[in-house]
Formats: sequence, C-alpha cells, structure tokens
Amino acid sequence: MASDKKYWKSVEELKAYSPLIEKLRNDEFVEEIPIDEFLGNKENLDNSSTTRRDFLKYVGFTTVAASVAACEGPVIKSIPYVIKPEQVVPGVADFYATTMADGYDFASILVKVREGRPIKIEPNKLAGGSTNARVQASVLSLYDNHRLKEPKAYDKVIDWNEVDEQIVSKLNDLKSNGKEIVFLTGTLASPSTESLIAKFKEKFGNVRHVQYDAVSESGAVDAFEEMYGVRALPNYDFSKVKTVVSFGADFLGDWQGGGFEADFAKTRVPKDGKMSRHIQFEANLTLSGANSDKRVLAKPSEQAFALINLYNKLTGNNLPSKKTTIDAEVEKAAKQLKSSGKNAVVVCGINDKNLQLITLAINKFLSSEVVDVVVTRNMRQGNDAEVIDLVADMYAGKVGALFMYQTNPVYTMPISANFKEALKKVVLSVSFSMNDHETASVSNFALPTPHYLESWGDVSIKNGSFSLMQPTINPLFNTNQFQDCLLRWIGSEETYYDYLKKYWESNILIGAAWSQTLHDGFLNKQPKQLTSFKAVDLSTSAQEIAKDFSNKGFELCFYTKTGMGDGQMANNPWLQEFPDPITRTSWDNYVTISDVDAKKLGLQNFNVSNGALNGSKVNLTIFTNELKDVPVYIQPGQAVGTIGLALGYGRTKGMKEDMMTGINAYSLYNDFKSFQEVTIEKTEGIHEFACVQLHHTMMGRDIIKETTLSTFNDSSIDPSDTWNKTTKVSMDHKAVAASSVTLWDNHDTTIGHHFNLSIDLNACTGCGACVIACHAENNVPVVGKVEVRNSRDMHWLRIDRYYSSDMNDEVAETMDLGVLDKFNQMEVPSGNPEVAFQPVMCQHCNNAPCETVCPVAATTHGHQGQNQMTYNRCVGTRYCANNCPYKVRRFNWFKYKENDEFDFHMNDDLGRMVLNPDVVVRSRGVMEKCSMCIQKTQLSILQAKNEGRVVADGEFQTACSSACSSNAIVFGDVNDKTSQVAKLVEDQRAYHLLDAIGTKPNVVYQVKVRNTNES
Amino acid sequence: MRSVLKHNQQKRLVISLFLFLIFTLTIKAQEGDPTKGKELFNANCAACHQLENRLVGPPLKKIGEKRDQKWLIKWIKDSQALINSGDKDAIAIFEEYNKIPMLAFPNLSDQDVIDILSYTDTDQMLGADGKPIDEAYLNGKKVFQVNCAACHKLEKKLIGPPLGNISDKRQMPWLKSFIKDSQAMIKSGDKDAVAIYEEYQKVLMLPFPQLTEKEIEDVIHYTTVGDNEESIQLDAEMDNADLELYRKWIVRFVIALISLILIIIILSTKNLLLKFLSIAMIVLGLTYYAFSWLLQIGVDDGYQPIQPIAFSHKIHSGDNKINCQYCHSSAKHSKTSEIPSVNVCMNCHKSISEYKGILYDGYDKAFYDGEIQKIYDAVGWDKANAKYKENFVQKPIQWIRVHNLADFAYFNHAQHVTAGKVECKTCHGPVEEMQEVSQFAPLTMGWCVDCHRTTEVSMATNDYYEEIHKALAKKLGTEKVTVAQMGGLECGKCHH
Repeated sequence: MASDKKYWKSVEELKAYSPLIEKLRNDEFVEEIPIDEFLGNKENLDNSSTTRRDFLKYVGFTTVAASVAACEGPVIKSIPYVIKPEQVVPGVADFYATTMADGYDFASILVKVREGRPIKIEPNKLAGGSTNARVQASVLSLYDNHRLKEPKAYDKVIDWNEVDEQIVSKLNDLKSNGKEIVFLTGTLASPSTESLIAKFKEKFGNVRHVQYDAVSESGAVDAFEEMYGVRALPNYDFSKVKTVVSFGADFLGDWQGGGFEADFAKTRVPKDGKMSRHIQFEANLTLSGANSDKRVLAKPSEQAFALINLYNKLTGNNLPSKKTTIDAEVEKAAKQLKSSGKNAVVVCGINDKNLQLITLAINKFLSSEVVDVVVTRNMRQGNDAEVIDLVADMYAGKVGALFMYQTNPVYTMPISANFKEALKKVVLSVSFSMNDHETASVSNFALPTPHYLESWGDVSIKNGSFSLMQPTINPLFNTNQFQDCLLRWIGSEETYYDYLKKYWESNILIGAAWSQTLHDGFLNKQPKQLTSFKAVDLSTSAQEIAKDFSNKGFELCFYTKTGMGDGQMANNPWLQEFPDPITRTSWDNYVTISDVDAKKLGLQNFNVSNGALNGSKVNLTIFTNELKDVPVYIQPGQAVGTIGLALGYGRTKGMKEDMMTGINAYSLYNDFKSFQEVTIEKTEGIHEFACVQLHHTMMGRDIIKETTLSTFNDSSIDPSDTWNKTTKVSMDHKAVAASSVTLWDNHDTTIGHHFNLSIDLNACTGCGACVIACHAENNVPVVGKVEVRNSRDMHWLRIDRYYSSDMNDEVAETMDLGVLDKFNQMEVPSGNPEVAFQPVMCQHCNNAPCETVCPVAATTHGHQGQNQMTYNRCVGTRYCANNCPYKVRRFNWFKYKENDEFDFHMNDDLGRMVLNPDVVVRSRGVMEKCSMCIQKTQLSILQAKNEGRVVADGEFQTACSSACSSNAIVFGDVNDKTSQVAKLVEDQRAYHLLDAIGTKPNVVYQVKVRNTNES
Repeated sequence: MRSVLKHNQQKRLVISLFLFLIFTLTIKAQEGDPTKGKELFNANCAACHQLENRLVGPPLKKIGEKRDQKWLIKWIKDSQALINSGDKDAIAIFEEYNKIPMLAFPNLSDQDVIDILSYTDTDQMLGADGKPIDEAYLNGKKVFQVNCAACHKLEKKLIGPPLGNISDKRQMPWLKSFIKDSQAMIKSGDKDAVAIYEEYQKVLMLPFPQLTEKEIEDVIHYTTVGDNEESIQLDAEMDNADLELYRKWIVRFVIALISLILIIIILSTKNLLLKFLSIAMIVLGLTYYAFSWLLQIGVDDGYQPIQPIAFSHKIHSGDNKINCQYCHSSAKHSKTSEIPSVNVCMNCHKSISEYKGILYDGYDKAFYDGEIQKIYDAVGWDKANAKYKENFVQKPIQWIRVHNLADFAYFNHAQHVTAGKVECKTCHGPVEEMQEVSQFAPLTMGWCVDCHRTTEVSMATNDYYEEIHKALAKKLGTEKVTVAQMGGLECGKCHH
C-alpha cells in the first residue's frame, strides 16, 4: 500500500518559509561552481562565437594531430665526456669523505656522488660520524636556486677583481686611520681559518674576532671557561650512563651541538636485565623528555631552584635556594644519582652561566665518568657578552669594517632594528653568505660563498680530532671561499687549498699522510690536556640565580626544531615539509601551550571538515617587544604556566615565498636567554596548521607494545601472555596464534635472501633523520603546506607519536564508565603523558592485502620479501591504499615535477640535480610507497655477484637504516642466520604491527621497555 | 752502480759484435717480402711511425731511397749506439726529434728489416689481409656501380648485355668510343655496334662523355676480374630479399581477395548466418591488424639514426677486431655501457690519422679521413705536429642514442656482462658487421622476459651462488636454474 508519508530532509523544512530551503530546492549547487577557474574569462566565453560543432571539430583535429605527432619518437642525444676523469665511471657512485660545518651542525659524512653530482649524505661511520635530519637534507641546499650567484656591492653585481680592489683600498684606509676591523662569525672550529684570521690581524693590526651563535650556549661555555680555563664545552660519553638527570637539556636533540643519541641508545636497550634511567625536568615537551623514563613538569624558574636543591641534597652544602613544588622528585633523583656512582650525570639546558656552574659542580662532585673535560667540544663558541659589546661599539661608530661569515645577525639578533642601525654606522660591511639573506641584503658587500660540498676546509669538532672538508663538485656559481678572499686581501698568492695543505702538514698531520687523511676525512690524535680545574664560589652564583629567576608570569621557553635548527636552511623544502617529531606539524612554528592554560585563555585547536587542524592566535609581549598573530598549538605535556616557541622560522629574504613560513621568534630572544617572562593575549583570527597526525592516543590498542623493566626482567611470566601478547583465535576449538591461521598460500622465501627490518622502539628517539634520508634516496616529492593539510603528504616513512591517556580499561571499570564515555576520554592525552615514537613504513607483508586487490597486478611480492610497486603498471584505482591496514601507501594526486602548481626542487633544473638516477620519478596518478630500498639491495647483490662472493652482514642497508645513528633500525637478510637482524627477529621483544590480521610483515618492532624503577 | 753500467756496456758490445757477424753472413739477402714487412711494421714500428706523416718519429715512406740499407739496419737494431759512435745523420735525426731515442730492436733479423723496407718502399696499397689492394679494381667497381649498374650486370642480361669479361670479346679502343658515344658509332655504321643495337630492341645506350680513359680502363679491369665472393653473397641476399617481398605481396593479394569475397557475400547473400559469420571475420581481421599496429608503437628495432661521425663498427670491431669493452669500458662495472669519451678514441687515433682499410659503400679514403678529422676538431689535435693545440676549447661529440630504454625500466649492463656473462651481440646483434649501428633487438619487455625464462644462470664458478644453487637445485630437482627461477621476472627488480 502506498503511503503519502513525507520525509523531512531537515528541520528547516518545517518552517513555513525558509530562504535556505528555497535555495536548496531550486539550485542543485548551492554555491556557484567556479567554472571560471578552468575555463578562463567567463565574459569572453559568453561572447565567443565558437559553436558546439566547431568545438567538436577542434577537439577532433587536436586529438588526431596529437596522436600523429606522438607516433614519432624523440631523438635522444648521448653526450660523453671529452676527457673522462679517471675515477668517474658513469652509472657508478663515488663516495667522498668530508665534513659538514655550517656553524650549527658539525658532522663527519660521506657524500655519494653520481656523474659529478652529490646526491646523498651518509654518516662517515669510520669517523664515528652521525647525521641528523638537517645534515641529511643539506645536499638539497647546494642546489638551491635562490643562492647568491654573483658578488654584489651596494646592490649592484660586480666582479671579483673589483671587489678585491675596493675592499683592499678601504682596508688600507682604515688601517691608516687606526679604525677597528671586526670579524663576526658563527662558530668556526676551523684551525686553519683561525690561523688565517690571525695572519689578517698581523697585516691590518686592529682586528677583533667575535664568534656568535644564533642559538646561544654561551652560558655553558662561559661556565666551563671559568671552572676549567678553556673556552669550550665538556664532552659527554652517554654510553656510560646509568642515571641521567636533565634540567631542560634536550640532549637527544640539539643541546650543545647534539650528536649524543648514538651513545645514549646503547644504554637504552635492555641488556642482561639492565638499562639506564633517564629523568627529565622540563617545560616544553622535547625529544629527550619524550624518551625519558620519568618526566617532571617544571617551569624554567623552578628548574633553577630544583637544580640548587639537588646540589644541596647531594653535597650536603647549603646554597641559598627556594622550595619548589618538585622537591620530592628532586630528592628521588638525588638518591638514584648517588646509587649510580660514577655512571651518573646531570645536564642542564638553560643558557645561564650560574646554573651551568652548579651543574658542572654536581658532576664534579659525582666524579662522573660520563663527563669528559679533556676531550672538549668546540661546536659552540659564541660569546654573548662580546656580541653585545660589539653592537654597542658599532653603534658608537668605533667599528671601521665588519666582516660577517656564517652568520645572519639581522635575522637572528633580538632587536634586529638596532643591529641594522648599528650596521649603518660601520664604514665597510661585508657579508659572506650562500644566499641573499637579511644581512647580506643590507650590507655594503654581499659576497657569495660556496656550499660546504663545494669547499675546502677543516674542522676540529673535538679536542684532538680533526676533520677535512673537500669539494665534491665544481662550484655551481661565481663564488669564492671566505678564506680565499682573506688570502688575497692580505696579498698572498696562495689559494686556500695550498694554505690548508701547508697548515695541516706543519701543524696537524705530523707523520700522517695528507692523501690518506683526505680519503678518510678525519685524523684522530692524542688530545692535549688543556684544562685545569679551579674551584668556583657557588654561593654568589646561587644568589644571582635567586635574582634572575624570580619570574611571576608566563614563561616563554625557546627551542629549536629538529627540522629547522637555527633557520639557516629555511629554503630547503625537505626540511619545511619534515613534520616535527613532537607536534607532527610541518611548514610552521607556533606557540605550544598546555591544555589548562589554553582553556583559561580561551584558546582552541579544532579539526575542520577535511580533518585538518586549525588553531587560535595570540599576541606575545615582552616589555615593548611584541610578536603578533602567533598560532597556538595545544601541547600535551607542556608545563602549566609556560609556553614554547621555536626559533629558526620567519625568514623573509633570499628565499622562495612558499618557504617564508612561521614567525621570527628571535625578535623576542632578549639577551640570548633561553626563557623569557611574557604576556599572552588572545587575538582574532584562525591559523591553519599542516599537521599530519590528528590522533594523539592509541585508544587502548596494542599498536606500540610497552612494558616496564621490572616486568621485562620477571622470568616467572611468559611474555607472549603478558607484555608481548600475541592475538589468539579459535581453530578446531583450540586457541592458536592468529598469525598461524591463514587463507593464503605462503611465499617461499627460504632460498636466496629474505629481507627483514627491525625497529627498536627503545632506541628510536624520533629524530627523523631516516625520514629525510628516505626522501633523498627515493625521489619523494614535496607537496607543500596546502596538500599536507589535505592529508596528501608523500613521506614513505612516517614516525608516529603517541601520548598515553589517563583513561584505560581498568580506570573505566573502577569508575564504572560506559563504553562511549571511556573511548571519549581515551582520546584525551594526559597532562604529562608518556610518549612513544614508532617509525612506520610499508610493512612488506608476506600476505599483503594490497596485492590481492590490485586489478592490474601492479603491486606484487618478491622472493626476497619485498612488496614491489610497479609504477608504470599502476592505473591509480587506489584499492591498495584502501586495503592497507598500515596506511603507508601514498598517491600522486598531481604531477610534482615540471608543473605550474608545486614549485619545489623538482620543478627547476638545478633542484632536479639531487634526484637519484636509479629511482624513477613517479608521475601523476600512480601509487607509491616504501620499496625497502630495492635499488640498494639489488646493487649489493650485484656487487657480490661481480666479485664472486657472498654478501656480508651489514652490507644490505636501506636509506633509513644507514641514516639511523642510534641503531634503532636494523636491516638485513634473515636467511643469513648469523646476521644481526636474524637474531633480532627471534628476540623475545620482537612483535609485528597488528599481528592479529595475519599479514605477516617483514618489518618487526621491538617492545618498548621503560625503566620505572624509582630507586 | 758503476759496475752495473760497465757490465751493460760490455754486454752491448758483445751483442753488437755478434749481430755484426750475422749481418756479414746474410748481407746478400733475397728480395724483401712486402706482406711480411707490413706485419712486422705494424707490430714493431707503427706505435711511433707512419708512412706519410710525422708521429713520434719521422714518416717512413720511401725511407730506403733516402738512406743506405746498411745504415738503416744498424740504426734500427741500436740507434743509440749509432748516435754514440758519432754518426752525423744519426745525430741530426736525434736532434730533430726532440732527443727522444728510438727503441732498439735487436730482435729483428736483417731479413726482417729488409722486409719492412720493401713494405715502406712499395707503391702498392695493401689491404687489411696484407695483400696488395688493386686500386684500379676498386675504382672501376665504383665507377661501374655509379654509371653502369642501372642497365648492366656482370653475369646476367638486364637492359643491356652482361659485361663480365667483355674485354675478351671487344677491343679496348672500340669499347672506349662506344661508351663515350654509342649513337655516333651506330650512325657511322660500325657493324658490331649496329648488331648490338638490333639485338637489344633498339634501346640506345646513354653516352658517357664525362668518363676519362683511365676510368673506362678501370671499369673494364673490374669486369675482367669480376666480383669477389663477398659481393656475390650480398647479391644473393638481395635476391632472397626480393623473394621475400614477392611472398609478402602474394599474401596481401590473397587477403585482399578473401576480403573482397567476404564483402560480396555480405552484400549478396540473404543467409543471415553466413552474413553474420562474414562480418565477424572481417571485424576479427581488422581487430587483429589494429592490435598488431598498436603493439609496434614505440618498438624501434632497426632504428638507425645518422650519427655526427660516420663511425663504422665494421671497421673497428669487424676488420680491426677491437674488443667491444675496450671502448665501452664501463659495461662491466656499471649500469650504463658508456659511449667512449674522445680521449679513448685518441688512444688509437693519435697514430691513425688516415684510413687505409677496405673502402665500403662507395666511400673513398678522403671521406674516412675527414671523419677521423672530426675527432681532432673536437679535441683540438694538431695532426701535422702530433700534439694538442694549446688553449683549445674542447667540445664533446653529440652522438645520437640508438638504444633507448624507457625511463621506468632499470637495466644494468654489469649484471648481464660481468655477472651473467652474456655476450654483447646477444642483445646488440652482429655489431661487427654494421657500418652504422642500428637497434637489433626490439627491447620490449616480452623480449627481456623471454630471455630470462630460457637463459640458464651460470653458477658454477661464482661463490655467490653456491648456497642458493644447492637449495634451488634441491627444490627444483634439476641442476639447471634459469634467470626466472632466480626471481628474474619480479616486477620490482627492473621497475623501481
């Protein structure tokens, strides 16, 4: 029976008249379809005389013409060398050992060069080198089309001869006038350059050299100088740590130059039932805090007094201090430090000389073996006091000439306008730089320097260890090295290469061969004992601390992002698109604030319809200094009463407009203090974030398996029932492991190689070097902020970050919560969550769900365990991505090379030089994903075949495994039973991600173990 | 140190004395053999000497006329001794050639030297096989092909009579005047001329007044000697090709006939089944053709672009037997086989500035020399003074790539050449017979896969395969393992 029941589409319809309903009824499309965008000018279109018939004729003609034209293949030329260099074999990569030193990052590296083009950075493991995300990405900065290509004087391009003439004549004038000449540089740590500056001083007399680190560690350097007599930083051997207590020091990040994670990771993997204990007192959630066993939230002002209290507790002294809310935790930490004896260490990340003195004193008292005061580090030598003096002198007109090298003070100085003003009073200002940045553009002379991959040089990263920098490509532009210019200006005929070689032969080599050292890239010598301990009166320090740390308001804590560092590589699209390990947000910096404070101030983060994250904005004020419209990101684990803000963003000169992201936090970096008292005020407007992870928690699932050290060591329990539980299903009325039940025919992987990848969640710090390494190795495109917001980022390897929640099954039971309430609350991370990182790439399932659904068999399985993606076969149905339980497949929504929309490195001839010629650049409409670096495994096999030998363990590497400095990612052949990975796969900590679905991945994870022992 | 020197001098003295004795014994040697001489010249002298041009040493053409034979023998066997002995001529040469002493050749017997001299002094050109080149023959053949071949063959009647051994039938003067203007001869009433005119349907032979006496003599010489075996074979191949063409046409004709019949059936019959079947056949046939046409798009076997230098693989790899990997040296190390850089060319062409081999396809020596000159132009080599020009801007040679694999297919030469021990010609064909290289294989995926399916992996001598071979042999129950069974058909291995 028919019914005349009426279904209301919405409540609006119940109203007698609603304009909205009327509109919906009449117009199929409520908003006008923006056809103009693709059809061009609407007016012209209406007036056009082209009829439909004509249109069809044109279409027919062009189709025929296009297909006829396409029948003829293009003529491709093959142009060999005229005289081929002996060491170059086209198609075979050469590796050169060199050193990166840009004033912020220092690393011994190997550079992979193909047909004369550097295309990939690898750590020089022989030299103990490791790479972070920025070092890995630095090769792309070489091919930056926004580099300064010609020397400029007063905004006009001139040639180098004129530069020399003008500058030398001015220098001679200044010399006769007795005016001062100043070199303002970043940390050089280069023995030969320093000796060159000394020579310059001999020639021109009144010369001063000031070193300036944009992100200052001056407090630590000053303290060490006062206590040990040498202007340097102590070295730390974290592989000896049993207990480490950190006060705001992100020692797994960039603290004091970084590079400690490899040693520390050795103590984090439980061995014989033991692992180190890591206690972190901090305000911002840092990489170190995220990886710590115990994280205590504390404002910087509290951290300061807690550190004194710790000193008092340990030594029994009674320095003046204050009670803090975290004293109970300090007491526990003191106990653990004491029980660890010489294997205990305390580190402090606040840039304050007094606090650093107390830290040194604590370590001295502990007789910590972790701290090495002999082999000192030279990676940070900036002197804040001298910089402040210099600016004052410049302002007073006392400085005749200012040569700036590896520094960008107009961008990085707290009150940039003052520095600019001071710079104008300098007679001759010369900026040596790679691009026409903020300082170069306002200096008299902007002189282009080569990238470090085009340069000669030397670095002494540590006392007693020396590394060489050598060019791996001919200079791309009309550049001159800083050192070559100095040599010419002092009237020397020598090139810097000659000078360097002579300097090394007479001062450093002594018995060692130049060519061998150049080949190795480094030379380790017996370090000279330079330091001598001098007791320092700490009571005055404590009094000064009491004065300096009496904040009442909000405390702003500056930090640097793993991706951006101090901001000198801001024009690097890989780094811009690199998601921050903690916030998982790219293309931005922002204020991080705790949930509690955000609620108080009415600040919000919310997701819009496509899932993308939006947030409120605030104004920050320190005295008269104001930073407007800063986006707000609500950060679980941010200490209440504090906010965090990353330095290194907000560059505005000498770069692509797309890359001018974020806001310049240096403008609030008063007196180079790592924290400031600040007032916050909500402002109008909504900011759009490019955040790649919208979910914070695991919602009670076993995505990351985790246990505590005591449970792990309890031999009475069976891991497969407890902390490494395998899912059980019923088969033939018996409970069996889910992975043993299968509908599939297994692949036979017993013959030949069978590749597996093991990821240790204990060793992984989330640093992201692997993400950039994968980007570089596999020609992964950069898609830009808008596309990242659309969840169309292309990273083959992502590092998921999960927060713990206060809600779990047990709590829900005791509170008698319903399922819905439970899950709602599970979504909310704790105020101080435990954090875990999990790198996820294609899991290379032996029973791969993607393979079965591909209608064209474009994704297939190899005998070596790799799930292979054949781009030229793919028709882009995206079934595979839908069916992938790990969501690791990436679709090329657009063409990212040679296009009008995405103007990143793949879109210009220079940027394309970084592409790996062994990997296809994918076109629009095809799926792509991690290949387990099949081009690398195949190459290793081929090398072995050509040499008639078996492949040794360790020879098989993926880009991520070779970039991983903490050895968290291990790759190899499990059919080689002696290999490291074969053992790891059998380890009791090993588990497969989502094992219940029976995909049998070739990637295994190692259960994360936390050392929660409080005594 | 000093004693060693003395010892050497003594030794040298003894040897020279001994050689001198032999020399006196064999002084009345026979005539030299230029063929053997050429071999010896190439083995011992050619590194530093050419016949016509100055290289490291002076040109040696007709050197026997300039110098006394005895002097030459002494000089060749130990020039240094001759210089030391104060011989004026010897010192003069030493000075002229930048005081670079010539190597001593005590291993050459007097007869050897005489052979060499008979080679350097001969006027005859020698072919690659060492036999004298019959220049008249080559020239005659060329003239014949350009002027006569349209109407005459050596053995068969074409438009005109066969010309093999024509000189047996006719006198040379008659032939000359007939070739230059046959019409005039016929008009003049020459009997023979009129007879031929009548015999060949009164078709007039074109007059060739432009040919010189010498050229006509050469042509007649060529007709007398006849074609060598090689070109006869070539002719036979041509005939085969003709046959092939005929067959093709026959097939086409049959197809056209069938189509016509089918169309007639469709139009005339009222039997629906027959009509339907006929239409179906036509549709199927058309689809078949459409697909076969589509499948050949982008398949370029036979692609033979014109290169900037008429580089002949036949001359280099065929005649002179240069190993492929001498020039394409990276094939064994790398994914690419590398077009040789100009410095590789110059390794040999420093001393080979002119072409003396067999002339192919009607090209003359000047043409080949011109092509060699193109290398010198690129690299800035001064042929006359045998050195590189100073401040010369070198420019690479822009070759046209013959084998173009799609960008999405990864191919590695080393994998095939070194690990797989595959011969170059398996994929590149008989390059040593190609004047200009053309693409031999279709380079389609089907072609790759076919080979991977059938090719056995040679595992015996390679330690890499030891374990794998044992396991595979056990699994497959056979000792032979093909590339496909090793995983050589997996997509990702070539598409990544």
